[in-house]
Amino acid sequence: MIESPSFKTTNLFKRMMAEYLERGVAAKEKGIPIAWVTATFPVEIIYAAGLFPYYPENFGARIAAKKVAAAISAAAEKQGYFPDLCAYARCGIGNAFSIKRPVGEVLKPDVVFCSNAQCGSLQKWFEAAGRYYQVPFFLIDTPLIENTPTTLIKRYIVDQLHELLDFLELYTGNTFNFSRLAEVISLSNEACRLWNEILEMAALKPAPFGYFDACYHLAPIVAWRGTKWAVDYYKELKKELEERLDNKVYVIPDERYKLYFDHIPVWPRLRWFSNLLLERKALAVASQYTHAWAWRFDLNRPLESLVKNHTEVFINRGYEYRLEQKISLMNEFKVDGFILFSNRSCKPKALGLYDKYNIISERTGLPGVIFEADMSDERYFNEEYIKKLFGEFFDRLEREST
Amino acid sequence: MPARKNAKSIYEDFNKIVANPVRQIKRLRTGAVRIIGWVPTDVPEELIHAAGALPIGIVALDNPAVSRSAPHMQAWSCSLMRCALGMALGGSFDLLNGLIIPVICDTTRMVTGIWKQTKPYVFMDNFLLPKQIDRPSAKDYLIGEMGRLKARLEQFMDRTITASELCESIKLYNYNRSIMRKLFSLHTCHPELLGNKDMYNIIKTSMLMPKELHTNMIAELLQMLEKKVDDNKSGGKKYNIRLLMSGKVWEPPEIMNILDSLGAVSVGDDFCTGYRYIANDVPETGEPLRSLAERQFSRLPIAAFAGKCGDRTNSIIRMVGETHADGVLFVHLRYCEPENFDYPMLRDDLSASGIPNFRIETEIGGLPVENYNEQIKTFIDSLGGGV
Ligand code: SF4
Ligand code: SF4
Repeated sequence: MIESPSFKTTNLFKRMMAEYLERGVAAKEKGIPIAWVTATFPVEIIYAAGLFPYYPENFGARIAAKKVAAAISAAAEKQGYFPDLCAYARCGIGNAFSIKRPVGEVLKPDVVFCSNAQCGSLQKWFEAAGRYYQVPFFLIDTPLIENTPTTLIKRYIVDQLHELLDFLELYTGNTFNFSRLAEVISLSNEACRLWNEILEMAALKPAPFGYFDACYHLAPIVAWRGTKWAVDYYKELKKELEERLDNKVYVIPDERYKLYFDHIPVWPRLRWFSNLLLERKALAVASQYTHAWAWRFDLNRPLESLVKNHTEVFINRGYEYRLEQKISLMNEFKVDGFILFSNRSCKPKALGLYDKYNIISERTGLPGVIFEADMSDERYFNEEYIKKLFGEFFDRLEREST
Repeated sequence: MPARKNAKSIYEDFNKIVANPVRQIKRLRTGAVRIIGWVPTDVPEELIHAAGALPIGIVALDNPAVSRSAPHMQAWSCSLMRCALGMALGGSFDLLNGLIIPVICDTTRMVTGIWKQTKPYVFMDNFLLPKQIDRPSAKDYLIGEMGRLKARLEQFMDRTITASELCESIKLYNYNRSIMRKLFSLHTCHPELLGNKDMYNIIKTSMLMPKELHTNMIAELLQMLEKKVDDNKSGGKKYNIRLLMSGKVWEPPEIMNILDSLGAVSVGDDFCTGYRYIANDVPETGEPLRSLAERQFSRLPIAAFAGKCGDRTNSIIRMVGETHADGVLFVHLRYCEPENFDYPMLRDDLSASGIPNFRIETEIGGLPVENYNEQIKTFIDSLGGGV
């Protein structure tokens, strides 16, 4: 998407995203409830209940990509929210207090749904939003799954899904429609399958698609999962990638290195990082972040299967599990090195990374680099420091691969 | 029973324990007892006690230790965990047999992995408290989680915990809390007899000592102090201002000395190491694991748990009314997200209710204490206090 000839699907993405947002506004006008949801919330249930799901995290990422996070955050900081909170939250809150809104207004919720499988920040942010907008706040509480998921935790979350269905029935006045849920889940399965196949193409050498592209094309698998939209979108993207392969169009035609990039990208620097890697003919190809949505749902046990996928997501797992998962992605994609991003917005991903850096180096023998920045807020971005770190990293990569 | 000591010497004993937790752990280990540490907050110590081990709260901190955690924890995480891990790395907790870390925020969620990696103990456990507390699922789950912890403790201690043993431990803890509440109430009426520093150290030491011994000491203290009240010996220092405090922990501890010197009494708080720790008991009837869970849901609200909308605000406003506090002092640790998310709305809601409030931001091993002194003084002056 960045230096390679741009994807046709990028235009489709822009069109569909604009339409999705317009649909949200229209839904609000028609009286369809706007439901705020988090990235690992079982959105399938929200679609099946006929509500319009809206992702403030996606809104945060769009603000960040537009390079205006610091300005929007300032409005939240003026209210007393501290600059060390997750930037998505600061931007979501900041938007409510801003006069200038460079990416439009966050869609006001009628009801707020949150899963804390990702982090405690979402729990606090959404709780605050529920109070601010004076709407109900419903939390699916997801205890950490350190090793194997226990029956206790699974049962707790299934119980909560039943409570969620009760809540929705009262809220909407309609009985919950399980056959609609089955349809939604089939569509999720289809989108997840396509997404997975697309991600796997990055393993080809040279590859037609890489991690930075995946970051760009990620929003539909999060937000539209469970709709025909997502399926159609990824069919188009996959078709385009297959054409590229037929025509021998690659992100980096003379690709030398494949790299693992842990975590969310630095949104306002997506292109900058992509170019930084490109200069040394390196392609980032895999990440726990982009692979988090490569799910499979079991239609015979819909609720259990929603629980399994949404709560066993990597970010809700213990230290060793996550470490092993990183290493197995590195093996699967046959990477030559790894990049770890210590994102000060995101403690649940960043804390522990320095030790993990050492352990991964030891277990894989691969060269790696770890850097400090914020995924959204450029006040914490030090270009010279990163260039220097990456320069040293690439020199090692070259030395060690010859 | 004649008093063996005077109040001052009991305070001194407590201060010594807080000042040197490592020596305290050493002293406790001289017996054959196994010691299991717990990180604040809301770990059911009664279970540890009933298993035959001695629970020790990781609550007394050592400022210089913070820097030791630097290679493992980013400087933008809270100093409470950086300090605790730093102390562990420096060997302060080497005599512990085990450690329980409750997951109450993203930092505690992540610190276990780092801790296990860098400084493992024989027994380590993540206590996974439910974060939503309004729906029936939470209670069922918590009872199950208590059961899981119980089973792990039983395995580690190689014995079973019977219901009657657990009930005995619950009684012991309830009794200790009830005496501390009496002391606390005496403290709020007669801070000149029992000031902030001594009161809050009493609470802290109860997490660092065998409960039986602590209970004896504070029962003796209560008797002495009550006598002083009866004899009208309450002269001395004047306290003109009543403050309600709020935050995760009252660190750095010098804050309490500052309040004492400025004549402000802390009449209540929602600190995990303060009044909140003693505010309520475990029901002594019914199935004990269920009772432990019940206590959890009736504790004072804190930022970690999502309760009925506005619960914490209402709870603080209610406490202000009950304690006739002149204002609320927030003591927030830098980089503590749960508090930082709660603060702006709490501030606005309190202000809208006409309750003066003020926030200080602290960091263990961070800013010089004089800074807090000036800030707190300004707030107290604005409340019309000052000595
Ligand atoms: S970036 Fe991290 S802290 Fe922020 S919402 Fe996402 S998971 Fe939570
Ligand atoms: S002080 Fe705050 S951030 Fe630190 S462990 Fe406690 S709740 Fe978590």
